[in-house]
Parts: sequence; C-alpha cells; structure tokens
Amino acid sequence: MKKSKIESVVIVGGGTAGWMTALALASVFDGEQISVTLVESDQIASVGVGEATIPEIAAYNDLVGIDENEFLSFTNGTFKLGIEFNDWGKKGDSYMHPFGTAGFQLDNIDFYHHWQRQYLNKGGADINDYSICYQAAKAKKFGKPSDNPNSPLANLSYAYHFDATKYAQFLRGYAEQRGVKRIEGKVTKVNLREQDGFINSITLEGNQQLVGDLFIDCSGFKALLIEGALKTGFDDWSHLLPCNNAVTIATKNTEEPIPYTQATAHSAGWQWRIPLQNRVGNGHVYCDKYMSKEQATTILLDNISGATMGEVKHIEFTTGMRKKFWHKNCVAIGLSCGFIEPLESTSIHLIQASIFTLLNLFPVDGIKRVEVDKYNQLLTDSFISIRDFIILHYHVNQRDDSDFWRNCRDMEIPESLKRKIKLYESAGRIYREGSELFTVNGWLAVMHGQGLRAKNCHPLANNYPEDKLEQHLSVIKNTIEQAVTLMPSHTDYIKKHGAAK
Amino acid sequence: MLNSTVKDVVIVGGGSAGWMTAAALANALGKQISVRLIESEQIGTVGVGEATIPEIGQFNRALGINESEFLAASHGTFKYGIEFSHWGKLGDSYFHSFGTYGFKLDSLQFYHHWQKHFLAGGQFDISDFSLETQAAKSGKFMHSNNNKNSPLSKIAYGYHFDATQYALFLRHYAEQRGVIRHEGLVESVQQCQDGSAQNGFIESITLQDGKVIRGDLFIDCSGFKALLIEGTLKTGYQDWSHLLPCDSAVTIATENIEQPIPYTKSTAHSAGWQWRIPLQHRVGNGHVYCSKYMSSAQATAILLDNIEGKLIGEPKHIKFVTGMRNKFWHKNCVAIGLSSGFMEPLESTSLHLIQSGISKLIGLFPVAAIEQVEVDQYNKMLTDEFLSIRDFLVLHYSLTTRNDSEFWRYCNAMEIPETLKSKLALYQSCGRILPKDEDIFAEESWLAVMHGQGLRADNNHPAADVRPVEVITKQLEKIKDVIDRSVQSMPKHNEYIQNYCRSTK
Repeated sequence: MKKSKIESVVIVGGGTAGWMTALALASVFDGEQISVTLVESDQIASVGVGEATIPEIAAYNDLVGIDENEFLSFTNGTFKLGIEFNDWGKKGDSYMHPFGTAGFQLDNIDFYHHWQRQYLNKGGADINDYSICYQAAKAKKFGKPSDNPNSPLANLSYAYHFDATKYAQFLRGYAEQRGVKRIEGKVTKVNLREQDGFINSITLEGNQQLVGDLFIDCSGFKALLIEGALKTGFDDWSHLLPCNNAVTIATKNTEEPIPYTQATAHSAGWQWRIPLQNRVGNGHVYCDKYMSKEQATTILLDNISGATMGEVKHIEFTTGMRKKFWHKNCVAIGLSCGFIEPLESTSIHLIQASIFTLLNLFPVDGIKRVEVDKYNQLLTDSFISIRDFIILHYHVNQRDDSDFWRNCRDMEIPESLKRKIKLYESAGRIYREGSELFTVNGWLAVMHGQGLRAKNCHPLANNYPEDKLEQHLSVIKNTIEQAVTLMPSHTDYIKKHGAAK
Repeated sequence: MLNSTVKDVVIVGGGSAGWMTAAALANALGKQISVRLIESEQIGTVGVGEATIPEIGQFNRALGINESEFLAASHGTFKYGIEFSHWGKLGDSYFHSFGTYGFKLDSLQFYHHWQKHFLAGGQFDISDFSLETQAAKSGKFMHSNNNKNSPLSKIAYGYHFDATQYALFLRHYAEQRGVIRHEGLVESVQQCQDGSAQNGFIESITLQDGKVIRGDLFIDCSGFKALLIEGTLKTGYQDWSHLLPCDSAVTIATENIEQPIPYTKSTAHSAGWQWRIPLQHRVGNGHVYCSKYMSSAQATAILLDNIEGKLIGEPKHIKFVTGMRNKFWHKNCVAIGLSSGFMEPLESTSLHLIQSGISKLIGLFPVAAIEQVEVDQYNKMLTDEFLSIRDFLVLHYSLTTRNDSEFWRYCNAMEIPETLKSKLALYQSCGRILPKDEDIFAEESWLAVMHGQGLRADNNHPAADVRPVEVITKQLEKIKDVIDRSVQSMPKHNEYIQNYCRSTK
C-alpha cells in the first residue's frame, strides 16, 4: 500500500477554533509541505462565548508571532488578572481566583502552608493579601511581570478579555497572509471512503468538492464531521455539571474596564461579566431544570448596568466531551470536541491545548494508531482535570436557597476530586497531578474561597518561628502594596499600549 | 497505647535507607517529633547503589550537607552518566548522560533537529551534542559556572561513593540533631489489638536484650527482610521477574589501576550485566545475572575475568526478587529502601527511590493521627515512580538484537507493559518522546537509551522540516564546535577531586 502522507488539511468552520488552528498550522509548516484550506460561511455566526482567557494564551500568541498591542487594539481587548466569584460559597461571600502565585517560598515549603498556619491559629489576613494579581486587580491597576525573581512583580501573571469574533478576524488576516486558503461556503455532505470510513472529501453548496488528507472539525456544537459523519459519540457530564443553557447580552460601559472577570452565582447558575474597551459582555449560565428561559433572562437583565446593545441571545449546550477527539482522519477542535461552561475561562485554552497537542503529534507520514491514541489520552486528561476543577465550584457550597445548590452539594463527585478535597481538609495539602492545568494556587483560591477549611496546617510550617513568621508575612504584604501603588492604572496602561482605534 | 498524634518515630534498620531517613526527619521535623533508630552491628548492609543520579543533590542541599566534606568522607567521585556496552548488540556502546543535548533552536526540542540530520545520513551522533558525555569521555569535570550564556552553566552530575561511608556520615549528622540510636536485634513486634481503627497498628518493638521501644510511626528500613511491612503486616509483594529476570548479583572491589573516571560503566554479559563504579580509593564491581541461565560459579568467573586491579576482599553474593511491595505505607508503617521493593542498579535508582520515599513522607507527614487520604496519596505517588523506573529498565533488556544466549532471546521476545509499548511505537513513528511531567527520566534519557539500543525513528518530527537539512547540519557543526571547545577548557576530573574533596582516610 502506498504511504498516505498528509499534505492537505481542510478545516471546517471559522470562528476562534478554526482560525486559531489555521494560523498555527500555517505558522509551523510551510505551504509547500502542507496546504491548509478553511471553509466557513458568512451566514453562520460563531458562538463567540469565551471572551475571557487564562495566561497560557501567551504561548499561542508567541507561537504564531502576534504583537500584543496590535492584537489588543484590534479586539478591543483588556487585561485580566483573575476572576472574582460572588455568592458562590454562600450568599454574600466573595473571593477571587487570581492568576500568578501568592507570597514567596520560605523554608523549603510552599508559601501557602505558612499562610495557612497563621490563618488557622490567628485568623486575619487572607491568602490574597499576598497575591500581587489580586491586589492590583482590586486597585484597578496593571503592569507587566518582572524577570527579577526578588521583585513582587515576578509573581504576576495575566491574560486577556477580548472580542472573540474580532480575535478570529485578526487571526484570519495573519493566516491568509501565510497562505491559508479560505473558501466561503456551507458543507452539504461529507463523503467517506468505503474501505476504511475515513473522510475523503466534503461537498459544498453548489456541488464543489473539497478533498483532503486530514480534516479538522471546527463546526462548533454541530460537530458536522466528528459526530455527524463519523458518529464518534459523546460523554454527557450533565449529572456533574447540570447547567445546560446560557443567555447573553452586551452592555455599554458605565465605568472604565476593570482588569478581572466577575462570576456571580444566582439561584440556578451564575452570571459572567467581561469588561472590554468598548463594551461589557454579560451572560447567565443556568440549568433549565430549575429555571425557565424567561426567568433566566429577567435575572440577567436585572443584574447588568449600562444600556443594552442588541438583543439577548440564547445558547443551549450539553456539558461533556466527545468519546474521541481524533477519530480516523478527523480531529475535533473547539466546541465540536466538547463543552465545559466558561466559569474558569477554559474554552479558548482547550482549543489551544488541542492545537499544541496536534502539532506535537502531527501525522506527517500518514495516520497511525499510536499518535491518535496518545492525542486522545492527553486531551482526555486535560478535559477531566478541568471538569474536576469546575465541579469544585458547585459542589463545595453552603447555599441553602435553592434545590439547584442543594443538589450540587449532595451530588456524587468523581473520586479524583474527592481525594483532592480530603487531602486539603486534612492538612491543607494540594498536589498538582500530571500535567494538570490549574496550579496549586488556583486550587487553593477556590477551595478556600468556597469555604473549605483545613483542619490543620502542614507540619513543616510549624518549624518556622512564630514571631518571625508574623513579621515576614507583614513585610510581604507591605511590599506588594507598595508595588501596586507604583503600577499604572489599567486604563492608562491600555491607553498607552493597546487602545482600540 | 498509640498517641493520637504522631510524636515518636522508630526506624528499624540503619544503612543508607535508615540513616538518610533519620537525618532527613531530624532536619525537617526534629522540633516536633522524636526519632529513634534501631540497628545491629551484627547485620551487614547490602551497600549496593554506590552510584547516584543528579537528584541526590537536592536531598543533600535540603539537609545543608557540605558537598566537599561528604565526598571526602565517602571517597566520592563525580558522575556524568553511564556508558552501556554490548547492550543493543555485541560490540555496541552508547552513553546515557545526565545532561541535555545541544541548544534550543526554536520551540522544538533540539533532538528533533538532530534526528532529521541523522535520518538524512548525517555524520553526527546525538552524544556529540552532550557536553557531559564529551567531558566524561575526556576524563574532565567541573561544576557549572555562573555565566548564563556559557554551555558550562548547566552541567548535570551525580556521584559515585561508598554507601557505607555515606550512611556513617549521615549518622553523625542525625545523632547531632537528636536522633537516638539503639544497638540491638529485633526480637518481636507488638501490634495493637483493641479492635479500633488502629487495630493491627504496630505499637512497639522488643529487642533481644529485652528493651521495648514504642512508637507512633515505624519506618521499615530492614532491607530485603522487610521485617515490619511484610514480616509483621503481610503487605504483599508484586513480583516483576518476568519483566526483569535477573535475580542475583556477585560483587567484588578492586584496587584502582588508573585515576577514577567520571562515569559508571555497565557492560552486558550473556545473562546479565556488570557494573564498574570508580571511587577515589577503589573500584566497585558487580555482576547482576539471572540464576535460571547461569550458576553463581559461572557468574563469579565472568566477573573476575572482567575486572582490572587487585581484588580487595572476597566476592559477595546477593539474591533478590525484582518487584515492589503492594503498599509502601500500610497502617502505621512506611517501608523505605530495599524493604519497599527492588530494582537492579542499572540506572542507579536505588538511592533515588529512598530519597523520593523520604521527601514524599515529609510532604505528607501526619499532623495528628494517620489519615487514610495521606496514606493513599503516598502509595499512589510511589507506585507511579516505581512503575516509571521499571519501564525504563525493561527498555534496556527488551530493546536488543542480541541473539547469543537464551537469556537475551527471552528478553527480546518477552511481553512488555503497554505503557512501554506505546512509548516505543511513538518514537518509531516520528522520533517523539512524551514522558509524563512527573517521570524521573526525562526525554533526553529515553532518547539516549532508545537510540543507543538501536531503535530508529521512521521519520523526523514534522516541525523539524522547516529548515533544510543542510542548514541544520551547519548549525550542528557550530554547536559541536562550541561544546568541544568548552570541554577542552575544563579541568581533569582527578585534579578537580584533589582540590575539592580529596578523601581524608
């Protein structure tokens, strides 16, 4: 049999997933080696949720060589230092999951164990008092991280809020320059090869045939290729993450954009607030078993400020993941491969993780089982570790005001998450396993923020002299406060570096 | 009765495992717990594992051990890696170095670029781009310098040393920090039998002289005997002989006939392999073999035929079963060292597994009573570590074209773990190696052994195709030149030792 080299890649669907994939492929491979064609239709709007990101996106922007200022200016972007969670653990509570790390290593163990000791013995300062990202976020300041490990700015880490539709457009510009061919059109049929069920070609409206060696399904929830044609199957996680609807609306800015996302829990879900330069994105994620569309819309409209822009949009989804992300000669990237609500802004990250893994395992010499299996295993691990982290937000709560929250608390959770919770409860220990996305600091912020308490601090923390600890902690706190006062305001920083034109 | 809080730790057995544990616990938790160690001068230690991997540096640094003092006390030398001879096939030789290869050219790891050059018929071997390998072969050594841009700024190394002396060195350290040593043999072990949650926990140990030593947590460092974890607690053992069939070793020390070289040698024989570990005052030699294919007399003859220098003492024989304990931490007993499992010292992992057990125990040390969640976490992490090392060792045996003995025919026909199979297939396809983040052996190590044992990739990584092969070859020439010149500027290993850590005895 002749070796089937992969020479042509066909991406079905534009949007963030499609264009991120197209640009990455065009940036890593030269066009002679591998041609990239993207089919999209102006008649199909992209979902464009996921306008908030996590710091890992910098690795993608680096790979494709994007200028940050240019990109922020084009996408009306702002900086993001974390997410503020309101009313989650219980009504009236508020905590932040900031990016970056808190405090400085002291005496061979992670800083947070020292904080935990102080907190359990004496109460007082919150872990976020030692987080530069948190302090800067609350002061509406922004600055870049420092390379100097002794600077408090070394612990700073940031991401973006942006207009995802504009981001896709921005990437499209680069991708087309680098040789990606865009075809306007709608897919009417997917043609499979008889002998092995691989995708041979797709037929577009007007009967145009598009042949390819590898197909990337970026068709969103429709999952045109991976499910429609290949019937790959889906693992439904609704029993763990019951929300299945969202209603969204943009509003005009009533204040300068703040450098963090807000996530406010409601009686059967939660609402996001994402501040851009030119508007605020709002959305209410809810479970339709407990709340009607009308109720959800009313709640959303009652909890926004600023004049609304356009009409409310409704989105239905099923949380879960495709049984295989790569099946035969089709790789699903974006919403076609699965969906986890944007509570921790992981949608674009999962796209990026898919792209990086695909590049790393790219089947240059024909598709082989070993690379496909590895791809599916790595992506499955990513999905599951993110899923567990999201469940944590729902499960650890003391809200008693609705069945939704009571059921979340009572539901059976995965063993992996149970073990994490128990380990924290015993002595405040957090282990990051494998190549898990969220850091020890992320887990701590949410576990503590949702009201989970450790019974004891780590025994090694007790070694540090008590009086010195108090002094040390206050020095760190003061240093961070001082560093924050010297930072420019978020608004000024954007004006100088990435103001929209 | 057991305390509800773990206050008193009792270590059964000295040796490297016992004294490393005692020293580390005294250092990390000495203000909060008491540490006692029971050992008997009548029981010799196995004292294999005289070669280490670089991670031991972290252990010593955490304890604040002065490197030159400890090396002087243990007749230590430096180690840049291991030379494997006759493994892939008779006559072959390759080097597994501790360092990395080349320099980063772009977001892709260096070795993918080399792979493209190699598959196109290029002349350079991957080891041409390992500073540590080139330095080792030239008998050079130095610590990293502080110049960030120099190839000499990130040098990775381990040690060779006399493990008995290392244990003694740590014993002084531990005793200075309050560890109490009891001389004596264990007569009996008393368990809690009150039907509570602590039923079956070890309460105390009675020595032959009648002394009773009670404790809250017991560390079993009794070696192969596994006195507590198996003898008392019957924890069970997973036998891996079908994957790693060697089950015996014969060892002998010899006098130095040359200055010590900065690497370990591992030479395959017809039913096993032989180590050579150069110390300041002698060379340690050992022949690891499978008794199914070779008698102890044959094994000894082969060993004695393949050493140089006058013998010191008599050959010693050791029997072992490769595998691991079903649980490393069971009830209030943690097994560290040979009691927790055994893997032959082919990649010098024995002391590392001790170190890893200790640091995980300290990380998960019970605050009050022993909680199952911490025990489970400990066992899970240690199991992962054992399995990843096991796969790496199996690789050396399964990936061979040797056909000159029944032993090697068995090895290249044996069924290997799925995890290892997929690693091999992934490399064969496009030279990819994707270890897990927590794996102790990184991509460079897997590459050294897979390539060294003769596995070839069908293709290079597609992302390496952005540069034409001629351009890569030019860059490789430059990199090789920089490495060669850097090695030339390094001092001789032996001179370095004489200035830095000459042994005092």
